[in-house]
Amino acid sequence: MLEVDQLLSKKVADRYLKKEVLGEGTYGVVYKAIDTQTGQTVAIKKIRIGQYKEGVNFTALREIKLLKELKDPNIILLIDAFPHKNNLHLVFEFMESDLEAVIRDRNIVLSPADVKSYLQMTLKGLAYCHKKWVLHRDMKPNNLLIGVDGQLKLADFGLARIFGSPDRRFTHQVFARWYRAPELLFGTKQYGSGVDVWAAACIFAELLLRRPFLQGSSDIDQLGKIFAAFGTPKPAQWPDMVYLPDYVEYQFVPAPPLRSLFPMASDDTLDLLSRMFTYDPRQRISVQQALEHRYFSSVPAPTKPALLPRPPRKGDSLTSRPPDLNVQEGPTVLSPPRKSRRVMPQREKVEGDAHQADRVDDHFIDVRQTTGGNTGKSETMPMSIDFSVFGSRPPPRPTLNSADRSHLKRKLDLEFFPPE
Amino acid sequence: MAANFWASSHYKQLLEQEEVDVVHSPDKEKGFTLEDFKLIKMQMSNYIAKLAQYVKVRQRVVATAITYMRRVYTRKSMTEYEPHLVAPTCLYLASKAEESTVQARLLVFYIKKQYNDEKYRYEIKDILEMEMKVLEALNYYLVVYHPYRPLSQLLQDAGMTELTQLSWGLLNDTYKMDVILIYPPYMIALACIYIASVLKEKDTTAWFEELRADMNVVKNISMELLDFYDSQKVTADERIGAALHKLALKP
Repeated sequence: MLEVDQLLSKKVADRYLKKEVLGEGTYGVVYKAIDTQTGQTVAIKKIRIGQYKEGVNFTALREIKLLKELKDPNIILLIDAFPHKNNLHLVFEFMESDLEAVIRDRNIVLSPADVKSYLQMTLKGLAYCHKKWVLHRDMKPNNLLIGVDGQLKLADFGLARIFGSPDRRFTHQVFARWYRAPELLFGTKQYGSGVDVWAAACIFAELLLRRPFLQGSSDIDQLGKIFAAFGTPKPAQWPDMVYLPDYVEYQFVPAPPLRSLFPMASDDTLDLLSRMFTYDPRQRISVQQALEHRYFSSVPAPTKPALLPRPPRKGDSLTSRPPDLNVQEGPTVLSPPRKSRRVMPQREKVEGDAHQADRVDDHFIDVRQTTGGNTGKSETMPMSIDFSVFGSRPPPRPTLNSADRSHLKRKLDLEFFPPE
Repeated sequence: MAANFWASSHYKQLLEQEEVDVVHSPDKEKGFTLEDFKLIKMQMSNYIAKLAQYVKVRQRVVATAITYMRRVYTRKSMTEYEPHLVAPTCLYLASKAEESTVQARLLVFYIKKQYNDEKYRYEIKDILEMEMKVLEALNYYLVVYHPYRPLSQLLQDAGMTELTQLSWGLLNDTYKMDVILIYPPYMIALACIYIASVLKEKDTTAWFEELRADMNVVKNISMELLDFYDSQKVTADERIGAALHKLALKP
């Protein structure tokens, strides 16, 4: 068996046996590999170099720089880095799934204790970053990876930055839109750890609702969605708001009771949510304070990571499981059997595992097509309705695609250092 | 950067003087002495600073680039890692790591402007190739702490902001030596304040006492810096030329 394995897989450097491709990362292909020294399964990000004659990708370099400093159980571990055939390879611990796959999997029931556990691990990872003065700036469920042992880890530090220098101005074009804090949407250039807290609050809400909470279709619409949920902020609530660069006045809408948006949530849950969703970043709860909130000390206790429900692994879902025709779960089970986050629809055959990979792709394209038409419909639905009842899906979530990225990269380069 | 130095890779990587002062065997075989080694590192620090002026980056980037270059030579020989290529590559890498990217194209333009000599003129592809090797030599550790921020904070605390200019200049000069690889940044800052206060005849005894910093270390760094200035009185150009000549010898 081992020999066959070795024939099928290519050796990278001396140490790693390359297996199937896991997907397309933000700046290169990610594939599975075996570390022959430890027998450990790892994920290797191959970073293309020299494409734009600017050497090691700026985003990749940022990720390397920060991950070399960040070592925490709730942060993805960068095991190794090495050059091979003019490409830089980053070796990460292998992660089985991600939080988006969990949230989207209709077969998974998340109890309040499960939600608490996932949120706690998210905040712990974030607290460690903030303690080290690192802003993540791209918090969203598919950047929260889940390991074989159930541990959740923050990944994708390509947008992360060291902060804490006063007056250093940053770009506001960070985060996928649905997770962007109101101060960013109003164009602030000076912000702090509060932006990550807002995004974590969106993830918290998404865990409760099982769909993205505030699905704006543009930046303006995003603010509209935020204000519809929490009421248009009054200057007394957020004094600095009117001075923000892109501030525009919105028609006043009163806040509906938070309870109406999260009918099943406990009082502690709602209290923590409202503190994390505070408009004024100065008054927003910090990650550390959030971890000390009574939500985490009250019953139910957070589920142990190893016992958390997780989506089935690729092999299970595609081969061994009998077709599941449970009507309650909707006519089709569309959650991708494997990490959908990195798997882009790709038509080329993937070496080693071509047959399975093709099936995954078709599956994934299906998901995208069926979701396309539902965008309008979902917005008119009450927020607490479970989409699975209708067998429809929430609209596909916006991510930073490569065009955005390169635009962003240029912007980041330009805006970080205004003339001094 | 306001991050925590004591938890950083920089702190864990601090070396002893003896570990820094190692001439690697390929260089030794050419008759390279420790003195030669130090002179070339100084010369390359100056070269980085010069290039940085042309491409207009902040002092922080210069300091990081010099630190990278000095870290590379704690592990690699100058014979294998040509200093005239390593220096601009470190500047290039530091500009990216410090979030103020300089285009390789621009850097190459100024390198050519600096050197008429064919053998020190490099192309973009040389820099990019060396970038990967430098990254590897640095073991991918890119975060560096500098004494600049502690310096201004300490001066403010001491109420001696009038010493800023002098101590800042002293601090810039510390990068012509290896102190950044050996001492915590705030100690280096304290040494600069110490020298500046002695020169300007300010009494800082009480303030230093209150800080409870290890004055032996502060004084050691100060002495090193003063020794360095002494050695610079003898014109260095000739000696640098001789050292570079040795390096150019074919093994």
